[in-house]
Amino acid sequence: MAQPTTHTYQVNARLAFDTLEAGRGEPLLFLHGAGGLAWDPFLDALAERRRVIAPFLPGTSKSNDISQVRDLWDLVLCYHDLLDALRIDRADVVGHSMGGMIACEVAACDPSRVGRLIAIAPAGLFDINDPMPDIFAMRSAELAERVLVDPKSPLAEMLGAMPDDVDEQVEVLIQRLSTLNAAAKFLWPIPDKGLIRRLPRIKASTLIVWGRQDGLIPVGYGETFRSLIPNARLKVLDQASHLVQLERMPDVLELTWAALAGPAGEAP
Amino acid sequence: MKTVAFNLMPYKDLPADFEKKYDSVWVSIPRTLYDPRKGHEYYHDYLDALETAVDLGYDAVGVNEHHSNGYGLMPSPNLMASILSRKVRHSDTTSLVVLGNSLALYNPPIRVAEEMAMLDVLSAGKFIAGFPVGTSMDTNYVYGINPSEMRERYYEAHDLVMKAWTTDEVFTWNGKYNQLRYVNTWPRTAQRPHPPVWIPGGGSVETYDFSLLNDYSFSYLSFFGHKYAKKVMGPFWDRADALGKDRNPYRAGYAQFICVSETDAQAQIDYEEHVKYFFAKCMHIDPRFFEAPGYRTVASLRAGLRSQLDGTAKVGKAILDEGFGWKELVESGYIIAGSPETVREQIIEAARELHVGNLIWLFHCGSMPQHLTLKNLHLFAEGVLPHIRNLWPEWDHRPFWPSGFGDSTPDARRSAA
Repeated sequence: MAQPTTHTYQVNARLAFDTLEAGRGEPLLFLHGAGGLAWDPFLDALAERRRVIAPFLPGTSKSNDISQVRDLWDLVLCYHDLLDALRIDRADVVGHSMGGMIACEVAACDPSRVGRLIAIAPAGLFDINDPMPDIFAMRSAELAERVLVDPKSPLAEMLGAMPDDVDEQVEVLIQRLSTLNAAAKFLWPIPDKGLIRRLPRIKASTLIVWGRQDGLIPVGYGETFRSLIPNARLKVLDQASHLVQLERMPDVLELTWAALAGPAGEAP
Repeated sequence: MKTVAFNLMPYKDLPADFEKKYDSVWVSIPRTLYDPRKGHEYYHDYLDALETAVDLGYDAVGVNEHHSNGYGLMPSPNLMASILSRKVRHSDTTSLVVLGNSLALYNPPIRVAEEMAMLDVLSAGKFIAGFPVGTSMDTNYVYGINPSEMRERYYEAHDLVMKAWTTDEVFTWNGKYNQLRYVNTWPRTAQRPHPPVWIPGGGSVETYDFSLLNDYSFSYLSFFGHKYAKKVMGPFWDRADALGKDRNPYRAGYAQFICVSETDAQAQIDYEEHVKYFFAKCMHIDPRFFEAPGYRTVASLRAGLRSQLDGTAKVGKAILDEGFGWKELVESGYIIAGSPETVREQIIEAARELHVGNLIWLFHCGSMPQHLTLKNLHLFAEGVLPHIRNLWPEWDHRPFWPSGFGDSTPDARRSAA
């Protein structure tokens, strides 16, 4: 696996973003979900063809302070400031779960700034007739069962691995908890913050990927995203849950490369 | 020492298999378990008991706020306090405590300034205003307040309420969470500039400092008694020293279940079933609701995590989960129970150990029927209260207690001495 490098960008007077980066070529942004940012095999594979830039959500890494971000609107503008700091006029963005929601918000706020959008099981909607469970009142064992089709797979073992040393355990848990703390700021108590009204503004060519057995955000939400984003295609993969990009990695990679190869701003 | 006769107002008839059959007494407790006819009876029994406490000359009667909670049937403690004010106003000894209103839940928070001013006027200036930060269950899960905003909302609401109480001109408030063009709270409070403020809380350094720096009285509200409270009151007084505040015991209070009977043996016969009801059913809280992400800062999470992981922290609920009997509950200090002699000795020992002036006495526990509640109130008043009143003769309670109509600044209270 490539060893990503860490970078810090002071994007405005209040906030710095830390990123993990690896690879060469055209930049590709990856926005992580509420589980936090870890350099996983999916990111590693993306970095074989593109310069992957994966920012930590404010509040989840050392340089930035979540209290400096006032609300979702402020957060979206901070990601625009990050694009400025990276000197990216029009970005290709991959976003997973909460990161998918942020990617959609950024693309809807200024549609000229996102060329291609790959939203993997994005958050941001809530259907009262098909409600997603409360991720903020969930034990870790339950969460593990909900995000993977097979919670006993080697993948699950890899994700659930804990160091033996108590100090290292504390750090792992602190990282998880601070990520969840920061995520809750933007998703509490349910993640519908009006994105459904803004989705039609998105001009990026958009691929939406969903695991058919998603136990966290129901697969039915995918069709709502597809129908409201003008240039969108939905791909539902079997035998996959919320971590579909890891559970069905070769397929998601293939779909991603195809989407990134197409022209920006048109349906992939 | 001052004794507040304090009532949570629990639901007394949860099913025998409640803790096996249902997930939680709080947040998700099935609504169908509430029988309004029983609720009617409880409310009036509880109010009768609190009114009896006024007649018996306790230093205060107290109520508090909970939501979707089977052991705290007061979403609005102010409603209960307003009824009690009718009796308190005629009393020479008894004040009225609402402990309190969770400021972050009121929109706009001047509602608290208004209602508490009403209570202060109704009670003839015998009102104590409690401002808890609030539990995660009530604040985040039931009332939907974003945990990342909770403390900010609390502090902003506090500043707004205090300004509303202390400003005689119409003013404008431009806060992050509240924008009000015209703040002009009627009625004015009876106590000038405002009622004494108590801060009920758990063990957070932010709350100790907030109480101490504002000269508010801090009340440690737990159900686990005096031995457990040492973990909090020790650090509280350390902070008082660090901040240069005196060690006036009335700066602090703590909550304690106390059950008085004729003898120690009779106390067990009288109260065991009802105390166990409380700890088995009312403490049956789904851990998923203990703490919303962001309720505590990362710094305080870090402090707590290590002791959880290495197994040194096994307190409170965890002890109960391992099974408990009357003997264990008494020995671990969760309850103080016995004859008046036994009880007063233990209270004095606990109060000295914790250095607290305000005893928030939980006089009703779990499923206690009314006759036992009244027995407890009477036996305590006769056999305990007179012996603990003069525990801190060298200290002046007045900076933290009501003063009636007129000037009630701590300095004015002192100089009136």
